[in-house]
Amino acid sequence: MKKSKLFMGLGAIAVAGALLVAADHIDAPGTTATTADIADFFAFEPTLGSDNTVFAIDLQSNVLENLAYGTFDEGVLTEINIDTDDDLVEDLVIQAIPRAGVMYFFGPVVPSETGTTGMIMSNAPLGSVAISNETAIVETTEEGVSLFAGPRQDAFFFDFFQFNAVIGGTAPDGFKPAGDPTTDADDDTTAVDTFDGSNTMSIVIEIPNSMLGATTAVNVLDLPVYNTWVTTNTKQ
Amino acid sequence: MRLNTIKYMVVAFSAIAILGSCKDDDDALVLNQPICSDGIQNGKETGVDCGGPCNDCIPPDFSGTYTQVDFMGRPGINTVLSASDEIKDAHNLSIPSEMVSNFQADFEARLEQYHDVYAGILGADPATVNYQPNILGDILNGTDKDGFTDNAVSATLLTTVLATDVLEVAPNHPTTYFNGGSGAPNYTNAVGFTGRAPQDDVIDVSLILLFGGGDGARFSGQDTDDDGIADLPRLTSDGVGLTATLSTEFPYLGAPE
Repeated sequence: MKKSKLFMGLGAIAVAGALLVAADHIDAPGTTATTADIADFFAFEPTLGSDNTVFAIDLQSNVLENLAYGTFDEGVLTEINIDTDDDLVEDLVIQAIPRAGVMYFFGPVVPSETGTTGMIMSNAPLGSVAISNETAIVETTEEGVSLFAGPRQDAFFFDFFQFNAVIGGTAPDGFKPAGDPTTDADDDTTAVDTFDGSNTMSIVIEIPNSMLGATTAVNVLDLPVYNTWVTTNTKQ
Repeated sequence: MRLNTIKYMVVAFSAIAILGSCKDDDDALVLNQPICSDGIQNGKETGVDCGGPCNDCIPPDFSGTYTQVDFMGRPGINTVLSASDEIKDAHNLSIPSEMVSNFQADFEARLEQYHDVYAGILGADPATVNYQPNILGDILNGTDKDGFTDNAVSATLLTTVLATDVLEVAPNHPTTYFNGGSGAPNYTNAVGFTGRAPQDDVIDVSLILLFGGGDGARFSGQDTDDDGIADLPRLTSDGVGLTATLSTEFPYLGAPE
């Protein structure tokens, strides 16, 4: 989709006071357009049979004009929380914070306190990596942990406009059928990925599961899982 | 020694001292070697332009107290199920152990609101168009029973599960946002939520669980009277797939556009 069209459409939505909705992009007035706005969070096994887990956090977005995008904020601490005993309280944290063009990582470590306030666990350094520009700079530690921080394509996909029409009651037919994502010609009648062409500021870490340890938490079908979530935190 | 000579010697020694202190390679004064002002960590530096032969590195300041301002577990939970700006902000400042008590009732009300929107469009009484137990019940029940009559996943149960907004990731297990196994009706080898990879269509999974009913396709644009026109809204897929470029190698996400 052409950007100009996207911005026009989003402007109309903003005027209409409709909801702006995405994975977690611009999800609430308190964080929208700030450098601490979490756009997305992924946690996955990188390849079949791997003994590693990948955590990818997207901060900020340029899907709309006038959003904070392009620079990691030294006042924002990003924290991956991991619950390994199913009490929904973090047992381990992995933290990331930028300083002078370098992203520093800490953990996985038991946090000094749980909940909504905390400290940087600077006595548990994990490694650091220079913040990338367009070309990815990757650092791999002696323990086999891979680290990255920099701008990336926004992998999220969603027909955001149509969702707003659906919840606004102006789309009797619901979502649109799939169209051809390579052309604009059918965009009026078929679904369009609003996030096509947008970027985000990503922090990616691949870590051996042995460093996270065993888990007694299980999902709804009793498969052992880590319960994970990500937060951004600002210095007080 | 003449004063001027002393001055020149001082200047010369200072220059050597400065050059020496800024060189990472202390073997010789050769151009194009790593130096202490090139903005990158090289030579024997232990940081960017510091450590080793350069000035001591000043450790970054990691002190202070940090307070949560944004939160995310599963994709779309806050944005889809929180009905007001106040709830959205509160959700971002909350922690998982508090979320069911703080948000489940609001989420359940929001789920019914969405169904009421379509009751209006379909010309039906909103009281008669409600969430129907989804495919999770069938999966949990196995093949013997259906997910409507036994262990149905009610609106209350579903929003309780979703209110606990954590992303479950199964170590040493293939990742799909939701693995329903072989699918209906038997769901053989279903393992449920195992994480989230960038290519996973999390929106369609969420729509199916919210609006798909017992077969996952309750509102999927069906033509119920064979006149060639859809009679039910299409709510179980948003119609888009991955458009971004991914990589098979770390960091997996594509270079910016």
